[in-house]
Amino acid sequence: MDLQRIGRMVEEALDAIAAAPHLAALDREEAGTVGRRSPVMQARRGIGSLDPGLRKPVGRAINEALRTLTEAIDKRRAALEIEAENALLEEDRVDLTLPYGRPPRGTHHLLTTTMNEVCDIFRAIGYQVAEGPELELAWYNFDALNTPPTHPSRFESDTMYVEPPAGNEGTGPDELLLRTQTSPMQVRFMEEHPPPAYVVVPGRVFRTDTWDATHSPVFHQIEGLAVDSDITFGDLKGTLAYFAREFFGPDARTRFVPHFFPFTEPSAEMLVWFNDEWLEMLGCGMVDPNVFEAVGYDPGEVTGFAFGMGVERLAMVKHSVRDIRHFYENDLRVLRQFR
Amino acid sequence: MRVPIRWLAEFLDLPTREPVELERILVSLGHEVESIEEFVPAFDGVVVGLVEEVGPHPRADRIRLCRVNDGDGTHDVVCGAWNFGPGAVIAYARVGSRLGLRTDRSITVGTRKIRGVTSHGMIASARELGLGDDHEGILVLDELAAAGPDDVGRLLDEVLGISDVVLDVSITPNRGDCMSIRGLARELGAYWRIPLKDVRPGLSTAEPRSTGFEVSIMDAEACSRFVAHQVEGVSIGPSPMWMQLRLLAIGQRPISNVVDVSNYVMWELGQPIHTFDAAKIADRHIIVRRAEVGDTLETLDGVRRELEPGDILVTDPSGPIALAGIMGGASTEVSAATAGVLVEAANWHPPSILLTSHRLGLRSEASSRFERGVDPDLPALAAARTVELIARTAGGVPRAEAVDAYPVPIRPGRVRLAPDDINRLLGAEPSFEEALVLLQRLGFGVDGDGGRAIVTVPTHRADVTRPADLAEEIARLYGFDRFPDLVRHGTHGKLTGSQMATRRLREVLVGAGLTEAQTLSFLGQADLDALRLPQDDPRRNGLRVKNPLREEEAILRTTLLPGLIAAAARNIARGIKEVRLFETGRVFRPVPDPADPRIPHQPVHLGVVMVGEKVDVFSATGLVELLSGVTGSPLSLVQESLPILHPGRGATITSDEAPIGMVGEVHPALGRVFGLEGRAVVVEMSLGRLVSGPGSWDLNEVSAYPPLVFDLAFVILESVSAGRLLEVVEASAGEHLESLELFDEFRGGSIPEGHLSLAIRVTLRAMDRTLTDAEAAPILRRIARAVERRVGGVLRGHA
Repeated sequence: MDLQRIGRMVEEALDAIAAAPHLAALDREEAGTVGRRSPVMQARRGIGSLDPGLRKPVGRAINEALRTLTEAIDKRRAALEIEAENALLEEDRVDLTLPYGRPPRGTHHLLTTTMNEVCDIFRAIGYQVAEGPELELAWYNFDALNTPPTHPSRFESDTMYVEPPAGNEGTGPDELLLRTQTSPMQVRFMEEHPPPAYVVVPGRVFRTDTWDATHSPVFHQIEGLAVDSDITFGDLKGTLAYFAREFFGPDARTRFVPHFFPFTEPSAEMLVWFNDEWLEMLGCGMVDPNVFEAVGYDPGEVTGFAFGMGVERLAMVKHSVRDIRHFYENDLRVLRQFR
Repeated sequence: MRVPIRWLAEFLDLPTREPVELERILVSLGHEVESIEEFVPAFDGVVVGLVEEVGPHPRADRIRLCRVNDGDGTHDVVCGAWNFGPGAVIAYARVGSRLGLRTDRSITVGTRKIRGVTSHGMIASARELGLGDDHEGILVLDELAAAGPDDVGRLLDEVLGISDVVLDVSITPNRGDCMSIRGLARELGAYWRIPLKDVRPGLSTAEPRSTGFEVSIMDAEACSRFVAHQVEGVSIGPSPMWMQLRLLAIGQRPISNVVDVSNYVMWELGQPIHTFDAAKIADRHIIVRRAEVGDTLETLDGVRRELEPGDILVTDPSGPIALAGIMGGASTEVSAATAGVLVEAANWHPPSILLTSHRLGLRSEASSRFERGVDPDLPALAAARTVELIARTAGGVPRAEAVDAYPVPIRPGRVRLAPDDINRLLGAEPSFEEALVLLQRLGFGVDGDGGRAIVTVPTHRADVTRPADLAEEIARLYGFDRFPDLVRHGTHGKLTGSQMATRRLREVLVGAGLTEAQTLSFLGQADLDALRLPQDDPRRNGLRVKNPLREEEAILRTTLLPGLIAAAARNIARGIKEVRLFETGRVFRPVPDPADPRIPHQPVHLGVVMVGEKVDVFSATGLVELLSGVTGSPLSLVQESLPILHPGRGATITSDEAPIGMVGEVHPALGRVFGLEGRAVVVEMSLGRLVSGPGSWDLNEVSAYPPLVFDLAFVILESVSAGRLLEVVEASAGEHLESLELFDEFRGGSIPEGHLSLAIRVTLRAMDRTLTDAEAAPILRRIARAVERRVGGVLRGHA
């Protein structure tokens, strides 16, 4: 085989390799060009029979040809393998927008989300979260909160009373009732912890209210309490104004006006400017000395503020919920909108 | 409390009458303004007219033809009323004026032919003008001293001073003293630093012609004071127009002069007044006492009331004549024939009035004042004011002296006040000196200076007894807005382990496709029956609400499932196919709470209900497994037949061997009752253990050596559960066990009837070496022996 023929053969083989349409064709081409029986390999085996002067250049040319061809085959093979895999993957295509079989994420109830949000706002400034019993003694719900036995809120038209388990009929402060506010937990907390006390109490409360767009016999409140040696009315205002900014947005404006609650003195109501009106958002005040005495704190040593807010009201104002019943009808079309 | 601004202006030279500004000030003082209403007449364009001539109608006897001068001219008007003659000053509804505004009978007055004579407009009655019920005749303004000939041609609204703005003010329960025009004027006067123009009744009295009344108070707690003042020779009739208009503006219907006066004085001064027909009181003797068993009284509304000990009564020697502070008695009611009136201005025990009015369902303007407490200093002034106004409006002559039964005169309270009392609550500002000035503006007496003070509390402020109460007074007059805003930081805000675990649990459930519900805390007996709970099931033993809103909500829930199942059924009824709901909430049990034995146990439960095509019982058991992993408390299932559930598809959930709940498929019969299509599954368990939090824990080092894995297939009786088999394998696999996985279940073929084959992949790994097959062989034999001995399983093969 002369050098010219080798050169021609390499060119032809390169064309064929490049044109091999699939791996099997390439394999055939490989066998035909660099395989044992291929003319190049045969030529290499025949080098010994050439003239000594030709052996060297022909040998070099053959090796060169083999390297060129092998490289071309490897390159072509790599390309064909990618093509083949791509073809396979194309067959493997699926529609990723199909449902994936497991149920989509559900939602938290807006009341839970709101309670967590409020608690977290206060936790961020160092108030712990406590929860208390829903079925309470009148002592905690009323008496210890400076609410006299004849106070109208104690009538059955306001408060749901519960028949005690047989054998221990309670009266007066020992009567069992469904708490009408989260405030009884103030008393329990102070009974169990010496001052200082910084705590918020989310929970379910009950009143003898019939259903309408803004009333429900079951609803939720968040109570707050701060007691220390040096708390003043300004602390109450600033802390609750902070809460309003965190909850309603940095531009939330607040206003405090005098009000009346049996367990705070002075008492106030906080109004928040939202959607172009002043809305009554929560009741608050400086803890009444009688409450401190009821829990065993010395009213000469400590002062404090307390507040209570309606969770439904907060959620309704913030998310334009117009009917409180949406929270308790458990209509999935409503629940799924909660975020 | 409705406050017409015109009336308020009688007590104060108002610096402003701007309703929004008045609202702002009242609110800043603690008196919420619920609404601002325009009080306007029901007519428009009606003027004062003078009847110049009255003549017969040419073709009718019952009606007359009048000539009415309206200032612009004289008009023919036909009128059917006969209670006036020439010279009468009347309300002339001329052509184009309107009557009955804001009613469904609003009309525009025009010309009308009446029996052939054209009437230009009409002469209006009080009822046609919306100024009362009187329709007997037309409104004769000069007779009522409401207008005279000088007013002819002026708009009636202006002459009578009708149009007004009324603030509806909500008075807090501690401020009975503000349930009157005078009381709120006093507050505003303190704000503006202007004096009150107080009422000073001037009496023209006479020596008694008849003997006086005696008043005996048998219970000084029930009645601290009773002022009785007698007026003789009255004639009952309508009250004057100005008084009627005041009452209409405040929302009270005018009735007659004596009754209207007593209402007027109550609104004006805050002291409820009762009037008796003096002639009907036996023996001219008033006895105030508590009711005794058997006492009854027919009240003014015609109802005979059974009285109970504790009710306070005004009686005469013949028996009860009034229910004190709440409602008068029918037998001594002032009537058209009354000539002598006994005026009562008394002070009643607030809690007694509250209890009686609530028990009888009789809430009145009077009782709402006595409940809050009325100034004990007020009765003498109010009685004098009442008899003055009765004399002015109903004629009659008051006796010179009132009877004032006041066994223990109430003295103003005194409070010691030191600067620190105020600073501790309010901070550095206002200064003590300024604080004392603020108290003085509110009518408190101050004796002392910068160091200490004795504060005298006016009798109308019985709610103020302590330094804290004074601090509130100081703060509200100083202005809440003027205090600084200080953010108070606490001590620590981290959630407890159980709070964190509860949040995580909710997050996992939501991630698993469940939506959180909130159901009510109540059940009805029917809910428990519908669940077909056995009679001795503890869930039937719920606590009962004494005063439930509805019988369906009379029992405190012992389980979350009825509420959740009902919610699921409602969603399905609305066309929703897949329902997955959960709730965390308290249930109530009639056993003592472990943390506080004085109250019943109220553990927090998790409830789940899932319904839909893709739901099966493993959706529920899978959830239990998921929660077990999340909260770190291992949960196991003990399959058994349970109430509510399909007998073959239910299990008790246990944690450390203790049962904490149940999981399974709802019994199909129940599902049909509740309207659940297909298979519904439920979970209910107590969260106490689950959310106790992970506690403290330490990381275990992991092995660097490869695992040894082998598969075992056991043939076991179908009655042995897979869970039980895994427990046995786990217990016998030894210290190197890393994991177990049940990967195949097979029945039929060579497996005997009633048996099945379960295949388990066992992964072993040692910390310190590579385990060899030789080491695995004895472990395998140990497992096989344990399975055979404990659950009768036979090793069918291994690999």
